[in-house]
Amino acid sequence: MNNMTVCNYIVGLAGAVIGGLIMLAAAEFPLSFTENGPGPGFWPFSLGCALLAAAVGLLLYTFSNKTDLSGQRVNLTTTANKRVYMMMGLVVIFCALMNLLGFYPAAALLIAAVMRLMDYRNKKVIALTAALTLVFIYLVFGLLLHTSMPQSVFLE
Amino acid sequence: MGDVITALNMIFVPLNLLGLFFGVLVGIAFGCMPGLSVNMGLALLFPLAFTFHGIGGILMLLGIYCGAIYGGSISAILLKTPGTPASVATTLDGYPMATKMGQPGRALGLSTMASTFGGVFSTVCLILLAPQLAKVALQFSKPEYFALAIFGLSIITSVSSGSVIKGIMGGLIGLFLATVGIDDMTGTIRFTLDTTYLLGGVSFIPVLIGVFAFAQVLGSIEEYYHHERSEQHMLIDRVLPSLADIKRVFTTLLRSSAIGTFIGCVPGTGGDIASFVSYDQAKRWSRHGSNFGNGEPEGIVASEAGNNAVSGGAFIPVLTLGIPGDGATAIMMGALMVQGLQPGPLLFVEKAPDVYAIFIGLLLANLIMGLMGFSLIRLFTKVVNVPIHILLPIIVMMTFVGTYSYNNSVNDVYLMVVSGFIGYFLNKLGFSMSAIIIGIILGGMAEQNFVGSLIMSDGSFSIFYERPLCLFFLAAAALSLLSPVLGRLFKKA
Repeated sequence: MNNMTVCNYIVGLAGAVIGGLIMLAAAEFPLSFTENGPGPGFWPFSLGCALLAAAVGLLLYTFSNKTDLSGQRVNLTTTANKRVYMMMGLVVIFCALMNLLGFYPAAALLIAAVMRLMDYRNKKVIALTAALTLVFIYLVFGLLLHTSMPQSVFLE
Repeated sequence: MGDVITALNMIFVPLNLLGLFFGVLVGIAFGCMPGLSVNMGLALLFPLAFTFHGIGGILMLLGIYCGAIYGGSISAILLKTPGTPASVATTLDGYPMATKMGQPGRALGLSTMASTFGGVFSTVCLILLAPQLAKVALQFSKPEYFALAIFGLSIITSVSSGSVIKGIMGGLIGLFLATVGIDDMTGTIRFTLDTTYLLGGVSFIPVLIGVFAFAQVLGSIEEYYHHERSEQHMLIDRVLPSLADIKRVFTTLLRSSAIGTFIGCVPGTGGDIASFVSYDQAKRWSRHGSNFGNGEPEGIVASEAGNNAVSGGAFIPVLTLGIPGDGATAIMMGALMVQGLQPGPLLFVEKAPDVYAIFIGLLLANLIMGLMGFSLIRLFTKVVNVPIHILLPIIVMMTFVGTYSYNNSVNDVYLMVVSGFIGYFLNKLGFSMSAIIIGIILGGMAEQNFVGSLIMSDGSFSIFYERPLCLFFLAAAALSLLSPVLGRLFKKA
């Protein structure tokens, strides 16, 4: 998926499917007009129709301009993209660790991991950045704003 | 007069003033660091704004808004890397003045003066024009408000997005997300997937932080791969502009401020358009036109006065009509709504002191910005050099903490992460994040006024084209959406 034509086809199809699903979901609510106005399904049903129409419009537009659009590259598989996907993976792991270990230990690990991901290797600076960030969060959010950050499941 | 005094009492509370100073300081810091943006700064500190009581949080956000637009000029002048898109035009003359001419202090001083002047000028215009427009808008009824919401959304999708169709799709997704939860008109529970979490609707703040801050962090990680950011070690000399410079640029300052204010009023535009239009006009009218691009003072002033003047202009449609012009004003509008201030003409009647507090707050934010710009410029030039590998992990943590602290909800964090992931891909595919957010914000207004209009007309859709103003807004919406097609037809003809 490296050019805008392919991307647009996929986005158009996804949009059409989402529009159709919205229409189906909205059709489960009353659509007809009463003295209280149109039923609660009417507005979302209309939005689903409009999204479906826009998605079809995008497919038609892409079909008629595919030569121009093929020249527009969409980078999704470069090394830089892979780094972003690794970052996404780290964030998912962080979310899991946040529940398991609690916010502060998980956050320290995430900061270190993100800095390593960005090719930074100085362990002292990594440790200092993590420590200062967490102290700042603890002082501002923990003490000043009384926000109780998520705790480890083992401590609950 | 009583309302103004009440507003002054609201603002001149130590904590609120502290919020305003803090906001400007953080805003300038965000603006001057390439890779961070106005929207990111506003989204990240959005939850913190509600720890202030009353207007304090809004003042902080106003400070960030003004400060970040100005801050973009610092890295534009010193690094030739604009901190925000609004400062791209500033690089054209700011960087040559700082490097080729060896006068970084002069360039920064001119940009600070122009930014302050532009911001103050547009705020004065806001104070003069907004109440008059609100008086006219008071005559609007439900059909006009519905048409206005559609007009606002259409003009934003057509201008701000790379593709009009994708802009429309983004806006529609935003409008749909606004329908999740309990329907205000009938009390029906819609699209909650049988979870209590969605009963109150899709939480606005996690989505906001996700698409404007977290998605941008992901984008920055991609952008800065193998890309060493340049550092500057220039010696900053005198920053106060000389009298000769002021005389030379004064006309440009006035013209650019007026252009920026006007462009700011138009939904879907923004600081980047204002700065380029102002720059172009300055070059056209200047006696030193040939010097533009080589460190011309008028070039710096035109761009900076133009982009900062957008701030006051952009608040005119937000406060009077409830239509946000871009992502930043959408965030500001969201903050007002969370504080119980529903933007629109009734705000001027029901909450006049709050409106005056916003006016005075914006004026003060611009003045504090100027003050900080002249006094702390050497500090901000150091901030420009903060390495990205230290900055990004900290911002990632702030997205988590900011999202969590608003409701103490881990589900909000998950929603923010998902929104960020989706936002990253949508950005790459040419979708406008602003269109989605504005769709969410205007969704409730659009649906309620749509249903209300149909109740008024006993279900007849004719109400939307029998009322002249309503028809005007809907026709304008259709025109703005069809503008790319019409433009192509005109070119062929």
